[in-house]
Amino acid sequence: MRILIVALVAALAGCTTVAKMESGEQTVGERLVVHLEGAWNHITGPGIGPAHTWTMEGLPIDQLRIYVGVKDGETVHQPGSSGKLKNFSFRANMQAEDVVAMFEGVLTRDGSVFKLVKLEPMSFAGQKGFRFEFSVIRKVDSVQLSGVGYGTVVKGELYAMLYAAPQLGFFARHQRSVDQMARSAKLKM
Amino acid sequence: MNRRGFLRAGCACGAALLPAAAQPQAWESPPRFARPDVASDEGGLWAMMDREETRLRRSPFNLRDPQLRSYVQDIACRLGASHCPDIRVHLVRTPYFNASMAPNGMMQVWSGLLLRVDNEAQLAAVLGHEIGHYLARHSVERLRDVKSRSAFGQFLGLFGVVGALGQIGVLAGMFAYSRDHERDADRIGAVLMHRAGYDVSEAAKVWGNLLLETRARPDGTQDSVLFATHPAQEERESTLAELAQTYRGGETSRQAWQQNTARFLREWLGDEVRRGQHEESIALLTRALGRGVYQGEYLYARGEVYRLRAKEGDFEASFADFTAAAALGGEPPQTHRGLGLIHRARKAAPDAKASFQRYLELDPQAPDAAMIKTYIEEPT
Repeated sequence: MRILIVALVAALAGCTTVAKMESGEQTVGERLVVHLEGAWNHITGPGIGPAHTWTMEGLPIDQLRIYVGVKDGETVHQPGSSGKLKNFSFRANMQAEDVVAMFEGVLTRDGSVFKLVKLEPMSFAGQKGFRFEFSVIRKVDSVQLSGVGYGTVVKGELYAMLYAAPQLGFFARHQRSVDQMARSAKLKM
Repeated sequence: MNRRGFLRAGCACGAALLPAAAQPQAWESPPRFARPDVASDEGGLWAMMDREETRLRRSPFNLRDPQLRSYVQDIACRLGASHCPDIRVHLVRTPYFNASMAPNGMMQVWSGLLLRVDNEAQLAAVLGHEIGHYLARHSVERLRDVKSRSAFGQFLGLFGVVGALGQIGVLAGMFAYSRDHERDADRIGAVLMHRAGYDVSEAAKVWGNLLLETRARPDGTQDSVLFATHPAQEERESTLAELAQTYRGGETSRQAWQQNTARFLREWLGDEVRRGQHEESIALLTRALGRGVYQGEYLYARGEVYRLRAKEGDFEASFADFTAAAALGGEPPQTHRGLGLIHRARKAAPDAKASFQRYLELDPQAPDAAMIKTYIEEPT
């Protein structure tokens, strides 16, 4: 009966499920370990992925995408409904600028406007990596978002985190937590 | 009018414009429209468009440059003539081919269209077509055809209503005017162009240029229905040539166009590169190089598209474009970043270092300066 209720709720919610990611050490995608200072919501369901998608405030507001071991040729977003828009895929030989350009393409696929604010070197997951800051004007509602991303390419696979939230209020509220999480990231070999 | 709409309209020209060619001045513009009763279906549509226009005025996508807006508004006014006071042009920063006109007089022109036209006459061809729909009140007829709520949502896409529905250029054309409406709009648009003193033959070029981009798509077959259900290209070209013969003369105003839009070219090209539609962008930029001006800008943009696409031979093509842009002078600073990244990928450290240094000389405040400095410091 309990399973039936869970299944019914899941069906009513369009099969989207929310799992609480508790404070402390968490393993993402079996290969990336991060330390959380507070709880996050892990969202799964149709139309979400291939990144592990977390949120503090709910998906229309803020979104943390965690990419774990993306292989050469793999697409880093959900396919669009029109089918005409180009997919953005990771290539093993991408440099930091190329990875940023790939995420830029993903974030502007709907006609949104992206601006790179800063790209700098940073150790991520114990590897030589990069950190970038950006702003986005979201096409669907003209909301101005701020964002931060982290990445590294290890043995031809991409490990990255991408967080974006409305510039007013929300981004500043969670930026420290995201930064701390990125700095705590390590690979589970 | 979005890309698909314009192609559809261009295809319809064959049947549509011949009668106009026979009687070039037969069509007369209606008097200015009075605001409809708010209780009527048309009044409701106007009210909805008024709200959309208020939202558009505040939108961060609105290009608020008064000089450029005034320039495009003047073109619309030349075409609209006595209806000029009712036409309000809004320039929207979105890298897709699109223009639309709502029944309340709100006209949206997207930056992707501005990047694609070669001269004032080509923009006038698109705006004239949209004003043609407006003058013939096609939207009211289509409104009365709409039966369902979902169809109404798509109907709003005719006017570039993007906020409420989250639609963008490629989706907005899902609901189109009928072929008869397109024929009417073409006929009226051609008359408006001619009366405003523009070279009508430029309309066919806009259509041809769009076909070039569409055919460059790897999945170009998606428009196969369009091409299958319309007259053959030879017939279309012949019809448009005949039309140009009837509406002889007129100006293209190429130089005025270049002068008024040059300040925005780098931003629009950046948006085009970010679209990630590499094949279409290469077709567009290769054609734009034929304009003979701002070569360094187009070469950089095309080189960056090749670099990002990174298929076999693309790095060579990218390198050639970046090098040519740098040789011309006045190139965007990112040209040297692109060169540096190619050298770095090829493990040519000294060349990479020189290119990155040049990049930072030209743009010391570049957002990726900290990252680039680490490349410069890499052991050779």
